Amino acid sequence: MRRSRYTGSAHTGTMEWLIQRVSALYLSGFVIYLIVSFSYAPLGEFAAWKAWFSLGGVRLAWALFFLSLLLHAWIGLRSIYMDYLQPLWLRFSFTLLTGVGLLTLALWAAQILLQAGP
Amino acid sequence: MGNKNKRPVYLNLFKLRLPVTGVVSIVHRITGLFLVLLLPPAFYLLQRSLQNRDAFDGIVSWFSALPGRLIMLVVLWLFLQHFFSGVRHLLQDMDIGVGKAAGRLSARLTFIASIVVIAIIGVRLL
Repeated sequence: MRRSRYTGSAHTGTMEWLIQRVSALYLSGFVIYLIVSFSYAPLGEFAAWKAWFSLGGVRLAWALFFLSLLLHAWIGLRSIYMDYLQPLWLRFSFTLLTGVGLLTLALWAAQILLQAGP
Repeated sequence: MGNKNKRPVYLNLFKLRLPVTGVVSIVHRITGLFLVLLLPPAFYLLQRSLQNRDAFDGIVSWFSALPGRLIMLVVLWLFLQHFFSGVRHLLQDMDIGVGKAAGRLSARLTFIASIVVIAIIGVRLL
């Protein structure tokens, strides 16, 4: 029996495809909002920055941003590894390290959000 | 991969001409990778900036100086290029700009757009 041709990241994972698109929409909206609003009204004061960040809605928006960011990074890096890292052990190691790294960033993000509470 | 005969494989990347559509694709991946690598320092700066006034003022004054502004411009360009090539992907998903000529045009447009926007921001920032 012939093994089917390996096609890298192409033609796998409809769910990943969808998450990548939805997170891209949120990320671009959030980041462009930040760039535009900070370029018109820079936060010059620590007190104003801290007060803004302690608002519930703001931290919720940041939480969604972190979630989208880490999922987007995970799917993107995984596709890169699938296409270019050829020996399986190498791809596995990079995928594992990336997973641990991104989970660490997720916990770190949670810590930042909780510390910034009122 | 499974190539048993010993033909010389000549893959000099400088002699291999990648079409512009291939260039945007690889640039999308490279900018994405760099943006992920920038996350730990960015998380650190965000956390520090929220801890106390001195840390906040230190970060603000560092990014107000020339090296800080230049780094900010580079990071912004990475984001903008990734953003525009991402928009190109989303439009192609909706069957907009599919085809050889349209694909080449939109590939060039992503570079033009990211350079124009970063030039506008650069003029304001520097």
